[in-house]
Amino acid sequence: MINALRHGWLPRVVLLGFVLVAVQTTLAADMRPFGVSVQVVLAFASAAGAASDADRGAAAGFVVGLLYDLVIGTPIGATALTMAVAGHVAGLGRRFRVEPVWWILAVFTAVGALVGEGLVPVVRLFIGEADPVGWRIAAVLPTVTVAAAMLSPVMVPAARWALSVRESELKVPGDA
Amino acid sequence: MALYSPGRRRAIILLAVTSVLLLTLDLRGNRLFDAVRSAAGAVADPFQTAADVVTSPISRAVRSYRDYDSLLAEVTDLRSQVEAQRAAEIAAQNAIIENQDLLALEGLESVASYDSVTARLVGQSPTNFDQQVEIDRGSVHGIRVGMAATGTGVGLVGKVTRVSPQSSVIMLVTDPSYAVPVKIIAGIDEVGGSTIDTDTSVPEVIRETGVLRGRGDDRLPRVSFVAGSAGFGRISAGDTVFTAGGSTSLAPPNIPVGTVANVITRPGTAGQEVEVELVSDLERLQFVRIILYQPPTELAE
Repeated sequence: MINALRHGWLPRVVLLGFVLVAVQTTLAADMRPFGVSVQVVLAFASAAGAASDADRGAAAGFVVGLLYDLVIGTPIGATALTMAVAGHVAGLGRRFRVEPVWWILAVFTAVGALVGEGLVPVVRLFIGEADPVGWRIAAVLPTVTVAAAMLSPVMVPAARWALSVRESELKVPGDA
Repeated sequence: MALYSPGRRRAIILLAVTSVLLLTLDLRGNRLFDAVRSAAGAVADPFQTAADVVTSPISRAVRSYRDYDSLLAEVTDLRSQVEAQRAAEIAAQNAIIENQDLLALEGLESVASYDSVTARLVGQSPTNFDQQVEIDRGSVHGIRVGMAATGTGVGLVGKVTRVSPQSSVIMLVTDPSYAVPVKIIAGIDEVGGSTIDTDTSVPEVIRETGVLRGRGDDRLPRVSFVAGSAGFGRISAGDTVFTAGGSTSLAPPNIPVGTVANVITRPGTAGQEVEVELVSDLERLQFVRIILYQPPTELAE
């Protein structure tokens, strides 16, 4: 964390986190395709993993998740955990030696978002909410996943800027 | 290099453990966390105001386009309902006045005897698993955490869970974390339409108390009872559900909650459960009324 402060990615992630949480509580909370709130902050957490790697994705996800908990009032640590896992899972995709073209990054972002949103009811059960989700999850998960994929062309560059991902990191190892 | 070596798990394990630690501390109640939350809220406020200014024209345009037809149909429907309700309203007002006079004579409180604040909904829950709404009235208007919220009619809507000076957050009755003591009154004949029942015979009334819990916005809230209670087996669909009140309940007594939709009999000694159809239409909330009531136990603290 201290390293992150020194190298400057943490303030940028925090700043972007506040902007995204603001968008989440206004536009995303209002516009509900299929009655589902599109998870903009979760899409960023996943994109951070897809744009960098599992560790940085997890750290960025943890930070924006913590901001989300603090501002929105969900139990502190609940969203931080789900978004850290989302960033981590999306970042695992980068272990495959494939050219990270936009649509592959969109797939990694979508998978991270799917895992992150799917983890929310599990965490809620863990903290004592009885039966926190019904059949609605069948609408929530696909909508959040597709929305994250659609947002990835915006979120991935934003995550690269926030995490200072270098140009060389975007290439497949061994490429000329 | 292995796709998922132990070394690669270190960061996520550390973050997961930190999250669990934070969760545990927060759920146990921590003043430091409350202070950090307030500070984060203060920092986020300008961001949210700016985002609201920028995005509200977009939201409004999309909503106008999306909802126009359904709103038109609803207005026509509501106009015909208003006509039908006028006659019933006159009779109901008379009944309310009589009821309040009787309660005053007996020294009892009714919902109408509490002060209230009307507030407009300004935001919905940004998550997909919490049933919450934000309103434009806060602590400067007398609102405190725990106060009950009703619709602009009288039906229970939820309770206040977070208060800032100019706004508050209401947890809706359908939220899985919501619970309120209720009583079910069986044996009252349902009065339908605008006709007035002139039958003066007193029906047998059964009162049964339980705790109503939310189960998400796609499922009806439920009330559980234990087998062998007085009303066991005698509650049926259509019976009315009110808040029970009491010294520790955050909601005052006699707020209408809804009607029994289904009675579910569970095996063994598990007793009955009833699903409750809410009086308030939570999908179409625009305004809410916060009842400025705090139970005696809260006032004593």
